[in-house]
Amino acid sequence: MEKGMEKNRVKDTKRVLLKAERLSKTFSSGGTLQHVLKNIDLELYEGDFTVIMGASGAGKSTLLYALSGMDTPSLGRITFGDTEISALSQDGLALFRRRHCGFVFQQIYLMDGMSVMDNVLAAGLLVQKDKRALVSQAKKLFAAVDISEETQQKFPAQLSGGEAQRVGIVRAMINRPELLFADEPTGALNSKTGLDVLNTMTAFHEQGQGVVMVTHDMRSARRGNRILYLKDGVILGECCLGRYRHGDEARREKLSAFLAEMGW
Amino acid sequence: MKKELLLVHSYLHKAKGQTAALVVLMLLAASMLHLWLMLSLDYKQNFDRRHDALHAEHVILVADGETDEQYDFLEKTLQADERTAEFVLKPALHMVGKFSYKGGEINSELVMLEKEVAVSSSIGRVEILEEWDGADGKNEKISGIYLPLLYQSEEIALGKTVSVTIGSEERSYTVCGFFNSMMAGSHNCSMLELLLTKDCYQELEEAGCAPQAVFCGIRLKEKAESESYESTLKSKVSASYPSVRIVSNSYALVTNSRYISQMICAGVISAMAFFILLIALVVMASNIVHHIQENMKNLGTLKAIGYTGRQLIASLLLQFLGVSLLAALAGIGLAYALFPFVNTMMISQTGIPYQVRFLPLPFLLTLAILGGSVALVVVLSAWKIQRIEPIMALRQGLLTHNFKQNHIPLERGGLPLSAALALKTACASVKLNITVCVTMLVLSLVVVFSGVMAENMILDITPFLNMIVGETADSCINVNAEAEQAFTRKLDADKRVEKQYLYHTINVSQVGGLDLMATVSEDFSKVNNQAVVFEGRFPRYENEIALAAKYAGEQGLKLGDKIRIAANGQEADYLISGFTQITNNLGKDCLMTREGYERLGELPNVSYYLNLTEDTNIEQFQQEIEEEFTGAVNLTINIKTTVEGGTAVYISLMTMIVAAVLVLSMIVIVFVLYLLVRLLLGRKKQEYGILKALGFTSGQLMLQTALSFLPAMVGATVLGLMVSCLFINPLISLFLRGIGIVKCTFSVPTGFVAIAGAGLVLFAFAAACLLSWRVKRISPNRMLTGE
Repeated sequence: MEKGMEKNRVKDTKRVLLKAERLSKTFSSGGTLQHVLKNIDLELYEGDFTVIMGASGAGKSTLLYALSGMDTPSLGRITFGDTEISALSQDGLALFRRRHCGFVFQQIYLMDGMSVMDNVLAAGLLVQKDKRALVSQAKKLFAAVDISEETQQKFPAQLSGGEAQRVGIVRAMINRPELLFADEPTGALNSKTGLDVLNTMTAFHEQGQGVVMVTHDMRSARRGNRILYLKDGVILGECCLGRYRHGDEARREKLSAFLAEMGW
Repeated sequence: MKKELLLVHSYLHKAKGQTAALVVLMLLAASMLHLWLMLSLDYKQNFDRRHDALHAEHVILVADGETDEQYDFLEKTLQADERTAEFVLKPALHMVGKFSYKGGEINSELVMLEKEVAVSSSIGRVEILEEWDGADGKNEKISGIYLPLLYQSEEIALGKTVSVTIGSEERSYTVCGFFNSMMAGSHNCSMLELLLTKDCYQELEEAGCAPQAVFCGIRLKEKAESESYESTLKSKVSASYPSVRIVSNSYALVTNSRYISQMICAGVISAMAFFILLIALVVMASNIVHHIQENMKNLGTLKAIGYTGRQLIASLLLQFLGVSLLAALAGIGLAYALFPFVNTMMISQTGIPYQVRFLPLPFLLTLAILGGSVALVVVLSAWKIQRIEPIMALRQGLLTHNFKQNHIPLERGGLPLSAALALKTACASVKLNITVCVTMLVLSLVVVFSGVMAENMILDITPFLNMIVGETADSCINVNAEAEQAFTRKLDADKRVEKQYLYHTINVSQVGGLDLMATVSEDFSKVNNQAVVFEGRFPRYENEIALAAKYAGEQGLKLGDKIRIAANGQEADYLISGFTQITNNLGKDCLMTREGYERLGELPNVSYYLNLTEDTNIEQFQQEIEEEFTGAVNLTINIKTTVEGGTAVYISLMTMIVAAVLVLSMIVIVFVLYLLVRLLLGRKKQEYGILKALGFTSGQLMLQTALSFLPAMVGATVLGLMVSCLFINPLISLFLRGIGIVKCTFSVPTGFVAIAGAGLVLFAFAAACLLSWRVKRISPNRMLTGE
């Protein structure tokens, strides 16, 4: 982290859920090495809505996937509680993901051949064995995101973009993950449906759900209580926005000022 | 064409693995097809080539006695028949005899000729294929015996000593060489020719243990008439010399009997070739259908920029035809590489040398069959490209998906997650599973065939013998008719004899038809093999006869029909009471009661079949009988050892065939599954990436992939085993129809079949699991970053 940005650091007494130390990620492309992440130190806290912002190619998604165990770092250490996830095998990472993480993708990635309900249950049954309880929980989640009974039996190709992404959120939430990772969740949606998705995520966060979201959209970023700004593979600065309140102008201005300072 | 070639290049580049697996399947199919065509189209023709080269006989008749009068009679008889082209009469020695061969015994009518006479004969010359150089290595003054090439073995080798029992006398000879005699070079030819050096021949002649005889070798104007010619000639000689022992054969009998192994081998190879080709074609069709589904957008783009449906089909045709023909060429090469091995195996069965050479007809036919079938399958499978509309294809062919039904909803049912997801995959991959079904159906048939062959031939040859040979017992003793009563009294009193019954074979002929081998018994209910008569029943009364089904079919005879039989100058009518299937005389057999035969004359001597107690030494028993009935015993045969000797080759051949088809089946299943798993993983790459992101492990996805094929594997195997068990016997009968088998009654080892079927499914499932290893390469991160 850059020295000058110390003043923006969040001083928090919350429990650390995930910790990255000297995290680096390097890709080899056409014989040349690209250092996408450079010695990043970072802690993610329980119940936070952390937003990772930055320009295209800053390494936002790479950081998200490294933190979530979807990808392995080239160097450095990532720990989740007492578990060093950067040392886990691929199968070990899969077990970690299913127990502790939920994912929401920009491209949504529902499985075409499965109904909406099956998309959710396929993830849920990995962890929970009581099918009846699981179905009941899924239905509650569907109700929370305004997905009707009828829609639950549809196939992904029959859904609108917003509906599909809300189903994606239900799938991510079904195993009650400690952290919900979202990569540009509104990137492929129009303004109205994007807003619905953001409201859904905010609602879950208000119930205590920890969220880590990558975005380059200011409107989305405002939903977070902690903003990290990534540039050229390093965290350039971070900003604490506090609890989200709809129509909070001061919050908007604070974020704008922070981003301006970051060179956004 | 340039445009199509560009597309072909692009397809091949994208599907290297699938192409390689298809090449292997096509290569195997081409190789088997070519081997079959070589065996069918040229191997048997080799008999005719060698027959012509040696100016061999079409009919041979050996009659005991060598009086001038007999020579005159034969000469005049042969000259009088206008079907005769040319003939030769030469002196020979004739006696039943035996020698040890591959742990068993060869029993046959031995015809001994002087070597120099045989090699210089104007008709039916024998060719010396291997000759011993003698102890001094100079090939001078070698003295001994020459045997047909068929009998070359570890024990019967150049320079070694072989013991031959001629009549009742055992004589030892040095093996001086091996030869090929087209018409008498195997015990399957009714007679077996042996050549002796001049000194050995004279010594045997003087010893008097083998009567002198006349060897008539006849070439016909039309070889197709060999059977009827032989029948007529034999009748004429028997009529003029009723007490003379005669043995004869014909071109028709010899060509068939010497190629039984080749026919069985060719039958199995052809079945395997077509099965593998069928599997390869089904896999190819499945590949094409998936290629169209997966590349719908590309096809739409190509159509949008102006490619026609025909051009796109042509590019697929070019790709698959090109790959198949290249694989076929490699397969033909493999067939030529394998053929020397098959040839060595065949020569040990036929005893006729075969020179491997390039054969244009099988080559062209292999390419034509493969090319034609591939072209047909490609065009039919790819025809829907014609109907693809660019705009629909550019929307990724959404209309090809069916959203109406959610098979196996996870919400309901008690299946474990992996099994439920596997079933969903199976429901969504019907075409892939059809390919699995076809493969497993075919391989189930192979399993049943292997089980039936193991049960009825390899582990216990008795059922095969019962079908092919007819009757077997422990011992056969032939005595003069005068000694019969004393002989049977002795057998009745001997506690070592469990069962004795008359089972005598003698020649008769159908009036207006052909010669038949009649087996005469007083009571057919005593014979060991009650399955000889497969339709109707054994003859019980003097006016009944059971007739070979093959012969009856050729003559248009049915059960209950009347047939006129002649022997010893007498004729009588008989009612057909049953149909038999014995291959000894290529389906020209009949069964008669003793009373029935005696309507035509008395039996000059009688053969009794004996079942002896377990601990009886058969050889010793026979020797005791010979000593007790000195002069009255004409022949003793240790049937057990004879059968062992005669069947060793069939057992080893079938063992090799079964091992080969099982290995081939495993190769086929691995390559088919490799292709299908690749196709499935290609299609489910994104879904598996998502599932991995959600926390599925590679092991779970591998299991899920293999499980998605399991219902098809189990279903098709169970169905295939059941259908194969029902149809294996008719199928084998179809292959053996040529040698007189009409109804095959092999027992199907259901326990073995069930276990082998389970083994087949387990093997296929394990192979699918291992082949799904590529799941490990699917990374959720790559899917997310669009790789």
